[in-house]
Formats: sequence, C-alpha cells, structure tokens
Amino acid sequence: MNQVVFTFITQNRDYILEEWMNLMKENADERLINVISNEMFVQTSAEYIDLIISNTRRNNEEFTYKLSEFAEKAVRLGWPLSFLIEGIHKFTLCVINGMVLKGQVTKDNQMEIIYDLDKWTSPMKQEIISTYTQTWEGTVSLQKIALQELSAPLIPVMEGITIMPLIGTIDTERAKQIMENLLTGAVKQRSEVVLIDITGVPVVDTMVAHHIIQAAEAVRLVGAKCMICGIRPEIAQTIVSLGINLNEIVTKNSLKKGIDAALELTNRKIAKVEE
Amino acid sequence: MRIPILKLYDYLLVSIQWELDDATALGFQEDLLQKIHDTSANGVVIDLTSIDFIDSFIAKVLGDVLSMSKLMGAKVVITGIQPAVAITLIELGISLEGVMTALDLEKGLEKLQQELGE
Repeated sequence: MNQVVFTFITQNRDYILEEWMNLMKENADERLINVISNEMFVQTSAEYIDLIISNTRRNNEEFTYKLSEFAEKAVRLGWPLSFLIEGIHKFTLCVINGMVLKGQVTKDNQMEIIYDLDKWTSPMKQEIISTYTQTWEGTVSLQKIALQELSAPLIPVMEGITIMPLIGTIDTERAKQIMENLLTGAVKQRSEVVLIDITGVPVVDTMVAHHIIQAAEAVRLVGAKCMICGIRPEIAQTIVSLGINLNEIVTKNSLKKGIDAALELTNRKIAKVEE
Repeated sequence: MRIPILKLYDYLLVSIQWELDDATALGFQEDLLQKIHDTSANGVVIDLTSIDFIDSFIAKVLGDVLSMSKLMGAKVVITGIQPAVAITLIELGISLEGVMTALDLEKGLEKLQQELGE
C-alpha cells in the first residue's frame, strides 16, 4: 500500500465518511434509505467505512471475521449487494477527490495512486461478494428448512381420525413429503380415517390431482381410509373439466362434513351433553 | 423355505417374515390355495409387517392369490403394509384394487369378522 494514500485515509477518516455518505445518499434508492432511520444509516455507514479502512492494516483474518458479521447485518437491513459494491467504488472516488483537493496528487504519481487503490479494493470487492452471497445462501437454506417443517403436518384429532391440512402450492418435492408424512403418520397413530384438507391449495391441476390420488391410494394400502375435504367450487370445476377421475375417493366440500363422515365410518357421533 | 399358514377358527393367518423370492411366492400361492381347500376357511389375513420391499412380480402374485382365494370363497385382508412399501407399490402403478387392507393383524381380523357378518 502506498504510504501517501495510507496516511491520507487514516488522517481524513471523518472527512471521507461525510463525503461518502453524501454521495451515497444522492445516488441511493429512496426506498433503501427510508427503511432505516438516519442515525442507523450513519452508524452503519461509519461501520462500513471503518471496515474498509481496517483492511489497510493488512490483518486479513480479523477483516474476514468483521466482514462476515457486517454482511449478516447488511442482509438483515435489506441493503443490496450492489449498494455495498457501489460503496467501495464511491469510497475510492472520495479518497481520490480528497487527495486532489489537498494537492497530493501530481501528474507523476496519479497513475500509481489509482493503480494502488484498485489493487487494494479489488480483492476486497471479491471478499464482500462472496461473504454476502454466503450469508444470503445461509438465510435461504434456513427458510427452506422452515418451509419444509411447515409443509405437511399431520394432526390427530380423535382416536383413529387424523387430518392433514394442506396450504399453498404443491410441487413434486412437496407431494413426496406429503405422501411420506401421511403414510408414516397414519401407521404410527393407527388412524382408521385420514382426511386431506385442500382448502388452502390455490390451484389443483392434473399434477396436483395425480399426487393426491396417489397419496389416497397409498393410504388405502396401509389399511386406512382416505378422504379429501375442502373442495371449493372452482376446484370442482377444474377437476371435472380436466377430466380427472376422482370417483374412487370420497370427497367432501368442507372439513366439517369430512369429520362428520369420518365419525360415521368409525361408528361414532358427537352428542350434546344433557344438563 | 415355506411360509407357515396357521388356522385360527374359520380363518387362516399368514405372516410373511422375510423377503419373498419368486419361487417362494409361487410355492406360497399353491400352499395357501390347498390349505383353503383343506380347511374350507372363510377368510385369510396376510400380514406384511416385516416386509419392507415388494417388487412388481411379488405384487402380481399377491394380487393373483387374492383373486384365486376369492374364487374359492375366502375373503382376504392384507395387513401391515409399510409406508415405504405402499409408496413403491403406488409408484409401480400397482394399487391392488378391490383388496381389503388393514393397519395390523388385530384390525384385519376385526374387518374380516365385520365383512363375514359374524
């Protein structure tokens, strides 16, 4: 690192920070600034600039650690990657402008200084990109796990009667999971009747219907009965107009009706307590 | 290796404990039909609890045994199909249509009793 640039940066930290923030605010998306308070913006910006400056001291391990911490924060604040990269670019610009103003850039050394800055910021950019993406990927995989946990719960409501409420679009992967949960759950809980509630499934196309039919047949094989509830009018329309044959499976229009039918199948009924 | 077939009152109980190979499956088919003939049983329970894999040939033999027994006047209930087996069967396109199934031996016997009206 060029000694001149290094001394300039360390000595004029506050000036650079101020210039940098003004520049960033000018260019940044309104939305970006509005999501966080002004103090928060100043504080985070200062942290970012400090982080960049700390890299001049060539302590790589510490920098990597701090950077991953900061990337997490940036992801949480919703700062896009382009903002951070733009930040480095603007930082270089501030440094050069500042040095020009102070008359430290001469015709002889200008190329040298620019090359030097570039050599210094390029690996930093790489590092920021990779850390940011890693943090982001971590978040995505966490969400995926959370989604999987939510995707196919099997709820025992009464002895021998279990319900699987399905909400959201069903794709092949999810259908597989539904089938597995449904069968293992039905066997584990010794269910006689299993109700699949599709009230929350927005679209039933041939693929979804196929998966549901398969699940229902598999349930029959393990020795339980399968019913499908929550068939909305538009779903009934699509099913028939697509020519899907659901004749083999008992279907009901609401979960309530389904539970009534399930009680009947298991020779039970709900009675009012006489007082 | 032959599969034991036990008589319990009017019913026959078969518990398949190990993976069937083709020869055993065919042997089992003959044995069972002979036994139904000898004992004039009304119902058969085939328990598959310990089986975790069924290929398409075995599934076909099972299906055949079922319809043959039906011809001889015995109702068949298959019990204890494992979830993994059910998934494989469905994926192979074998849905054993018209076959009675039950969760375990106990439920299977109950179902037979219900069906035979006893």
